Amino acid sequence: MNDNEKEEAANLKEEFEWVLREEVHAILHQLHTVLVECAHRFPVPLYGNEGQKQDKFILTSQPEQLKCIVTLTGDSITHADISFKVLRQMHTICRTSINQDGPWKLQQIQDAANHLQQAIGYIDNVDKHYIFRSSEEVLHIIQCLIGSLQRARTALVLPKKKTIDELMKSRNMKALSPNLPEDLAISFYIQSHKLIFVAYQLSSVHGTMRIDSCQADCAVPWLSDVLFMLTAALHMCQQLKDKLCVFSQYKDFTVGSRSASMVLN
Amino acid sequence: MPGTNLIVPVVLWGKHAPTHCISSVYLSRDQKTLVTGCYDGQICIWQVEPETLKMTPRCLLVGHTAPVTCLSRASIIQDNNFIVSSSEAGEMCTWDLVDGKCRESVKLTQVHTNIQAYHMCNSDDLRLFCNGYYAEILIMDPFSLEILFSLSSKMNPDWISALHVLRPSSRKDDVVLAISITGTVKVWSLLGHENKQSEPIYENESKQIRCLNALSLNCCAYNQRTVLIVCAKYCQIYDAGDFSVLCSIQAPSGERWMTGDFLAPDKILVWSTEGKGYLYKLPANSVPDHKGFHGPSVEHDSPTLFSILAHPDNKLLSCPPAMRFILTSVGGKQRRLLLRGDSHGVVSLWNVDDAVAAPQPGETTSHAPIVLTSLEMAWAEMNPSPVGILDQFSHPEEPEMKLTASIYLLAANRLVVGREDGSIVIVNATHTVQLQLLHGNHQQLDDLPLHQLLLGHNGRVNCLLYPHHVHHRYDKAHLVSGGIDFAVCLWDLFSGALLHRFCVHAGEITQLIVPPLNCSPRIQKCICSVASDHSVTLLSLAERKCVTLASRHLFPVVTIKWRPLDDFMVVGCSDGTVYVWQMETGHLDRVLHGMIAEEVLAACDETLDNELGGAITSGTDLQGLANPALHFFRGLRHRNLNAMRAATQRGLAALQATDRSGNAGPLAEPARARRAPLTIQGFRSNPADPESHILFFDIEGLIVELLSEEYSAMSPASLEAAGLITSEYMKVAALTQSASPDAAKRISGILAKMKEGAETMQTKLQAKAEQIKAHLEPKELGVVGVGVVGVGDKYLKMPMKITSLAQW
Repeated sequence: MNDNEKEEAANLKEEFEWVLREEVHAILHQLHTVLVECAHRFPVPLYGNEGQKQDKFILTSQPEQLKCIVTLTGDSITHADISFKVLRQMHTICRTSINQDGPWKLQQIQDAANHLQQAIGYIDNVDKHYIFRSSEEVLHIIQCLIGSLQRARTALVLPKKKTIDELMKSRNMKALSPNLPEDLAISFYIQSHKLIFVAYQLSSVHGTMRIDSCQADCAVPWLSDVLFMLTAALHMCQQLKDKLCVFSQYKDFTVGSRSASMVLN
Repeated sequence: MPGTNLIVPVVLWGKHAPTHCISSVYLSRDQKTLVTGCYDGQICIWQVEPETLKMTPRCLLVGHTAPVTCLSRASIIQDNNFIVSSSEAGEMCTWDLVDGKCRESVKLTQVHTNIQAYHMCNSDDLRLFCNGYYAEILIMDPFSLEILFSLSSKMNPDWISALHVLRPSSRKDDVVLAISITGTVKVWSLLGHENKQSEPIYENESKQIRCLNALSLNCCAYNQRTVLIVCAKYCQIYDAGDFSVLCSIQAPSGERWMTGDFLAPDKILVWSTEGKGYLYKLPANSVPDHKGFHGPSVEHDSPTLFSILAHPDNKLLSCPPAMRFILTSVGGKQRRLLLRGDSHGVVSLWNVDDAVAAPQPGETTSHAPIVLTSLEMAWAEMNPSPVGILDQFSHPEEPEMKLTASIYLLAANRLVVGREDGSIVIVNATHTVQLQLLHGNHQQLDDLPLHQLLLGHNGRVNCLLYPHHVHHRYDKAHLVSGGIDFAVCLWDLFSGALLHRFCVHAGEITQLIVPPLNCSPRIQKCICSVASDHSVTLLSLAERKCVTLASRHLFPVVTIKWRPLDDFMVVGCSDGTVYVWQMETGHLDRVLHGMIAEEVLAACDETLDNELGGAITSGTDLQGLANPALHFFRGLRHRNLNAMRAATQRGLAALQATDRSGNAGPLAEPARARRAPLTIQGFRSNPADPESHILFFDIEGLIVELLSEEYSAMSPASLEAAGLITSEYMKVAALTQSASPDAAKRISGILAKMKEGAETMQTKLQAKAEQIKAHLEPKELGVVGVGVVGVGDKYLKMPMKITSLAQW
């Protein structure tokens, strides 16, 4: 190495130590703020956020195919009036409802909230005065964080696909009053910032099973906020990770000069 | 045809042990097998001597794409050699520990965080009780990996954070005790005839307690009256009768609890994130046999720490180690052990019985592990140390140059290896393999063997590509390399000249890919490179310039797909976003999120599959569809079984028929219809590791090659005189079929496994460290030609290169 390279390496090492000492904590703090803010948007008790918020939504599709008035309390639909036209019989309208005794649980909300809670937990586990001594330590935390945030986002953005059979047998379907005829099924789920309602109709055409569906959706305001903040947090994590990876090529960089007493709080 | 011939893999590990940051550990009850899973998804099987507890790494199982979170035994039978592993991506595998084969695998949408193997009443073998990122408890069969039934909650349904299955002493049924992350304790009673069709099984009882995010829950095995619940900040003893807290123990400062268990009615063991075990004696009010049980806690009688299990050196860990409390029995002797595997790949074992025995009142003793080992130590112990493929270039005095990328040019029989210092070495593959595997005079040669050296990169070479291998539209002389210096270099293989250096990326190059055949003529001359700044470029080898720079990606690129007819390059990022780029113009057509993004990626697969259908049957241009490993992983990610099957088939086929297209040039050997007797594949378990290499000897191909060479030297007359012409076929047949019925059986078993390789979704890599040693003995080397059976059991299902792109 010539002198220039040595100087560059020395500067990089100094920069690396600064990142570990200052920058990581600053970013974790920022992330914490963003994630706690995100947690507060959730309508369920989560990280100091008390109480179940209640929202009312109306879902309709053109032309008057179906109509559904929904009360979303926390992660469950506690009340809904549902009516939709049955395709095969043009003038039959199917009505059913969800009431307090058998709420329709939107597992996606609980999953996302739990993943988020876990992500915040990873940051809470890091003592504010802890001095990181290697990039691996930080990368491990970031990796855990990215994993949790990714799962939280995915839970909301990509609803799990269910077979019609699973849907028919689900506990949610059984709580409808009155119960639906055997060839009908309904489903509520979240996809990105929208609450979606689908009505399925099973029919047999020449011996093969056919499924018709019609759906309606409505925007849920807090979901857009939550998704936005999750994405922002993910991006912050990725940037910190990229920053640390720049130094990873200098494997011999470790913060070793400090005394042990300073390291432990 | 894939799967009809015998391929013997030999791994040249090199001097560096693979990185093994342990995420889960398991020790069999007979103390014969240790299994460690790591954050990179590999599983290492160790052979343990039951008496001395000496541990020797035996093989590395490859297949999981995410950290291995759970390991569990699969059967109650002592010498049943199967384990089940589960990863953070929802993949589950059942492995045969004897041959390292993956017997069954599934990918679930539910991700487990904990698995308890339990023998239920009315069932002939173990059931896996799983909990994780979902609101139920799933009961699975360890061999079929089917969900047999699930337990649901009526009261406050939420994720289950810990569970314990037990059989109360007075009853015949099994009881599942579990706690949800919000602190609802639930009890299910199982009669043993539950199945998937039955009505949802709800808890019999539930109670809300003040305990959030529990990490483990254990009922005392001695009295079944007290329960230990461990949370990060404290662990608590509860009365199982009414779930009231009896006592509580704070975690030591700077540490968090992980898990714990009872050692006696009045003694518990808890371990912390620092990898230390703490033994406590419980106060009288927490011990059921005591008259003060369930009474108020008395001031002078609190839990007392009497023993600590710790490493004497207390080395800094980059993440909490995986730990497990284990009961073993060897020769009728019961032992209690605490097992730990840490981020440096160090495995240690404490004898808990020593620590429990006779604590002096008021005294705290500290115990060091009785066994301490790691892959690194196993590597260091080996003499001679494990060989690397380019060992002939390293001097014993100098630190070894790490190999960072490699490709094997089959037609030219040359191995191209990129190294840490930026140099690219090209050697004759057979020659270099000979040097590593055969002892002989040639190793005493002082000067370096014949090789070509390409110098141009400043720092590590990350990836190499020989586009002509993929499709003959590319120039035979062109070799492309990407490095840590942000540059992509184009080389002339024959002259060794650096033809061009593309400096368009703003990060180190991580991957080089070839676009599909039916792109526009201009793009056909391009190769695609991916860099760590999340940019993708199309670099024209003909024009020597960058055609398209796609650099708006916020997250790392994980997949690249093509819609050649629409002139689209579809880039998938780690956050699920998809960017659609026009190749010719470099115009960003659109950015997609969520469901639509998934659909667009899947649609690319469909068009690909259609094209692929033809490709597989015709058997040409198999690699024109980028790296089969990539497709395999994509298939895995999208749970697309057909895509996975196709990818596996292609992977195998590509290995065996790597390039028929290249047969006719100056680089190619005289055209002969035969298989490649040798292929070489680079392998690494962690992106930061140097590469190890796997040599695949195709035995049939070798025999054909050897014989045809021999005969070509003989005149027809002498052949006939030797009576070879008619009998030779029989001889060859006898060799491949093998003489003894037992051996034949083994071979056909292996063939069946090879076939399965194309169908099962998991790849498996078995590689014995000792094997390398064995191959160093000259007498063993006769094997390569004839002794098919001797090495027959070391097979490989689907060797694949795990690229950084697929692995992100």
